[in-house]
Parts: sequence; C-alpha cells; structure tokens
Amino acid sequence: MEQVLSVENLSVSFDTKDGIVQAVRDISLQVNKGETLAVVGESGCGKSVFCRSVLKLLPDTAKITGKILIKSSDTEQDIVHLSEREMCKVRGTNFGMVFQDPMATLNPVIPIGKQIMEAIRLHQKISKKDAEKKAVELMELVGIDDAKNRIYQQPHFFSGGMRQRCALAIALALSPKILFADEPTTALDVTVQARLFDLLKEIQKKTGIAIVIVTHDLGLVARIADRVAIMYAGKIIETGTAEEIFYHSKHPYTWGLLGALPSLALKNGELKAIQGMPPSLLNPPQGDAFAARNDYALAIDYKMPPPLFSLSDTHKAATWLLDERAPHIEAPRYTQKNSL
Amino acid sequence: MKHAFIRNNYFSFAYTGLKLFFQLAVMLLILAVIVFYVSRLTPGDPLQSFYGDAVQSMTQEQLDLARERLGLNAPVHVQFTKWIEHACQGNFGISLRYKRPVLDVVKPLLGNTLILGIISYFFVFTLAIGLALVCARYEDKWIDRFICKIGTIAYYTPAFWLGVVLVLIFSINLQWLPSSGAYDYGKSKDILNWAKHLILPVAIMVASHFWYYAYMIRNKLLDELRKDYVLLARAKGMSKMSVLVKHCLRNIMPTIINIMAVSVPHIISGTYVVETVFNFPGIGLMAVSSAKYHDYNLLMLIVLITGFLVVISSFIAQYINERIDPRIKGTEIITL
Repeated sequence: MEQVLSVENLSVSFDTKDGIVQAVRDISLQVNKGETLAVVGESGCGKSVFCRSVLKLLPDTAKITGKILIKSSDTEQDIVHLSEREMCKVRGTNFGMVFQDPMATLNPVIPIGKQIMEAIRLHQKISKKDAEKKAVELMELVGIDDAKNRIYQQPHFFSGGMRQRCALAIALALSPKILFADEPTTALDVTVQARLFDLLKEIQKKTGIAIVIVTHDLGLVARIADRVAIMYAGKIIETGTAEEIFYHSKHPYTWGLLGALPSLALKNGELKAIQGMPPSLLNPPQGDAFAARNDYALAIDYKMPPPLFSLSDTHKAATWLLDERAPHIEAPRYTQKNSL
Repeated sequence: MKHAFIRNNYFSFAYTGLKLFFQLAVMLLILAVIVFYVSRLTPGDPLQSFYGDAVQSMTQEQLDLARERLGLNAPVHVQFTKWIEHACQGNFGISLRYKRPVLDVVKPLLGNTLILGIISYFFVFTLAIGLALVCARYEDKWIDRFICKIGTIAYYTPAFWLGVVLVLIFSINLQWLPSSGAYDYGKSKDILNWAKHLILPVAIMVASHFWYYAYMIRNKLLDELRKDYVLLARAKGMSKMSVLVKHCLRNIMPTIINIMAVSVPHIISGTYVVETVFNFPGIGLMAVSSAKYHDYNLLMLIVLITGFLVVISSFIAQYINERIDPRIKGTEIITL
C-alpha cells in the first residue's frame, strides 16, 4: 500500500491559563492512498485537534511536536516546521477539509461559486472563465443540480445538506491527496447524512482520494471506513481494519463503544453505557487513561500506560489485557461476528 | 405600526421625507432656543465687540441708544421671535464684530472647515482600517500590543496639548511647517501652500480620533475571525491576511459604514479644537471667537450649520442601520 500521509509521534498541547492541555499525546498513524480512515472517539478526545493539527489550523497557543510527513511515491516532506506562508501552499493542494457545521463554514455574503473559484485561483493561474467552468464541474460532481445557474447564489439559498456539498466542492477544488472530514454530517439529518456518505464513496471511487473522517458515529464508520482508529484521551488505543475493529476488537474501550451502539444493542438485548467521564486532558492520569472506567482494569493500568500491542499487520491495541501475564478475558459476545 | 396603511411607495417616500424634515426642524429649533438663551447668560457686553475700545468713552445715553438700535435691549424672548422671523426669511442678521451679514462672514470659512474635515475623515478611517487589519492579523503579538498602546496614548492625549507640542517641534524648532492659518498671505490659490498648512491640523485630528475607530474595527474583525468560515477559507490555502481583507472586512463593511456615519459629529467637534489651536480660519475657530465676543448672530448661524450636519449624519446612520438590520426600523438611535 502506498502511503500518502504518515504521522509519527505527534503531540499537540495548548498553553492555557490553567496549565498545559495535552490534547493529542504521541499519535502515530498512516493514511494509505485511496482508503478511508475513520478516527473515532468521544467528544474531547482530541480527534478534531488531530485533524486540524495536520493542516496546522490550530490557534497560535498550540504546540505541535513530532512528524507529519506528506508522502508521494519517491519524496516525503515534513510539514511540522513549515512557516505559515509555506503551509498556505500545502493546504488546498495536498489537503482538503470539510467541517462540522455547513451553516457556519461558508461565508454568508459571498456566492458559492466565487468561494469555489477563489480556492482554484489561489493555487492555479487560470482565467476567471476557466475557473468558473471548473467550479460548475465541481458543483456537478458533488451533486448540485442546475449548477450553472446556482453558482452565483449566496449560501442561504441552499439547504444544509446542499451547503455541505458545496463545502465539499471547495475542499475538492484542487484535487487534494487527502480529504479531512471533521464530523461532516453531525449537523445534518439522517437521510441527508446517508446520501452524503454515498457521495463521498462515489467521489473516492472516481478520484482515488484518501479520506480521513472524524466522527463518533460508529454506524457511519461501518458504512464507509476501510480502517478505523479509536482515540481516547488524546491517544490512539486501537487501530485496525473495519473488520478487525468491529468483529475482533481487543480493547475494553472499543467494546464499550460497540456496546453503546443501538443497532448492536437490539440484538444483544441491552444498551450498555460506558460508566463515568473521560479524564481531563489538563492533567492526564498516570497509567492507562481509561483505567478508571474500565471493568477489566488491572492493577498495572493505574501505574503504567500500556504499550501498543500488535495483533496483525494492521491491528494494534493498547491494553495490558494483551500482555502474556494478564488473565485471559473473553470479549463480550456482542462484539463477535456470529452475534450479528 | 401606525403608518402601515401606506402601501404606495411614492407616498411612503414622501411620508418619510416629511417626517425627516419635521424632525430636523424640531431639533434645530430646540438647539436654537438653548444656544440663544445660554449665549445671552454669559457675562460681558456685546457692544464691546461692536465698538471696540470706543465703548469706554461713550456715555450711558449713547450706549442705550446703540442697544436700542441693535435690538439688544428687548427681553430675550422678544429678541428670539424676531430672530426666528428673520432667519426663516433667510436673513441671519449682521455680525456685531465684522459688521457684515453673517452669511458672508461664514461662507469662505465653511469651505476651509470642510476641506480640513474631509481630509481628516479620509485619513482617520484609512488609518483605522489599516491598523485594525494589522492588529487582527497579529492578535496578541508584540505588534498588536504596540499599536494598541500607542493608539490608547494618542486617544487620551488632549488634542490642544498635542497641537502645541507639534507646533513647538515642527514650526518653532525645526521650522518645517507653518504654525497657524490655512495659507500664507496672498497665496490662497497655491495648493502646495494649502497642503503645508494642513499637515499639522490633519495630523492632530487623525492622532486624536483614529484609535477609537481602529479599536472598534479591530474587535469586530477579531469576532469575525473566530467564525467557522475563516477556518474553511484558510483550509483552502488562503493566508490569514487575505482572509481578513477578502472575507472578514467585507462581512463587517456595513458596520464600518455605519460607524463612519455616526462619527461625523466627533470629527466636527474635533475641527473646533484643532482650528482654535492652529488659528485655522474655519467655522470652528469662528464659533469659539464669536462666543467669546458675544457675536450672537454669527454664533447662531454656526451652531445651526453644525447642528444641521450632525442631525443629517445621524439620519444617514439610522438609514444605513435600517438597511442592514430591518429590526432597528422605528427605534431611534442615539448619536454623539
């Protein structure tokens, strides 16, 4: 598999009045060409910060350490230390991004088409007419009917789902290698969500773009993702292919997330919530951050953070349960394939 | 709404026009009454400015006669009704000091003040928007803090004091710029000479006014910068500055225009101070001296002109506000 993005030991911390908030702690992650990677976790686990730190769209108080490598077949470029001016060239051409609330992410007074053309003309020297033509094509690509006439309409002429499609058109304007989608459907209703995901899949098939989707909706993840990374308290605690995460998960937190999924609960007969609250990232607990909420916590969980155990080439999990000295614990039945 | 029955655009337009005219008339009338009475309360003798030092040698009889002739002996309300009567016919009386119709006295001065005011207005807002953009771009960096400090200092430094200091430096010590007047004697047509005389007054006007607006626009821009569309624009690869100019500034333009309309009275009051410091022949200087010399008719005319400008600019501000936000319609905004 050809990698397009490789994140190594990425940490992001914010200097605030109350102290240093460690939003992302030592993440390593790869994105392969043409795949869909889903980053899943509770609110506040650092998944959005991770996404924005790759594009360096964080406020100035953020401190980023580690490596963010943009890879192509023969070159790689570390973008962590790039200046703002150099980042402007990287954004758009290498990365596109779609945000959570389509009502707020489009400038309300500038026509949609102009916002798309602006993105095109920032990086390519083409005439206004050509840019306009390309904007119409993009709008047709994301499924907006009558694009030619709607190109000069302001965002308020469009519905929420349509606006998210427009935002998508802007993100795709320069055919980037990776599309980051930060909870792109949270603000939309369910039928629109499904159609937008179908559209994403379709575009991926057409263009071969890699998609990194940040969400807390496991149902959508099952629908779209090739690989899944589960985040908790700023760390990736389990990562693997969708199959591995949904049917062979090893981390108690992943079990908890799956147990809280209504569609699985229907078969299981019980909807399980994960007890307690996620820890504060201001002073992350020593040891495993999930230990306090973990039914299967071992004594060592409170003392030392678990390393990432490899289960296969793709499947990794960070829990002491996988240590050879740990007692053998069977994953709950609802997380196994035959239960579905 | 009480005039909701007026459907026809033409009528509603006429109605608004009429309403505005009455508001203007009432405001100016109130202003005239107050200034008329207050100016006569101040101690001093208007005859002093009419006859100059000759007053000292005049007998009581002569003085009474002069008062009678100038209409200064009648009770104040009688004087006022007479003044209103004449004013409505376009006759604002003669200046006691210059012994000419006040309109003739004011006419050339009005132009001077307008030039000073408009040039200052232009520079105040150019500088305010420019600095606001720089501050917003480098929020909380040293340059933002530096500009904020300098701006605050400039804003709180009294204009008359700053004027004197600048005159001391540039006119007396360095002798680069003239210290007073609008042009050198006999050079009223020389634009360069004009410009030279305008530099210091405009500098004072700008120094004492720009920060108020720059700070307001800066904060507006920062509010705007927190919005999500900025993230999207930056994700496209736009630099922060071009997002500020092309997106944020554009989105707050209605607010800026509104601020500009409301600011007219501030700028006018600024010209009063600056003209006095620099002895700049404009209506501001004339207003101060006419009050000092009890030149009642002249004072009244200048007050009315200034009042007219202030009221009109607040109408414009109100109109712009209504266009931006229809909810404001019908509620009065307070300017000054």
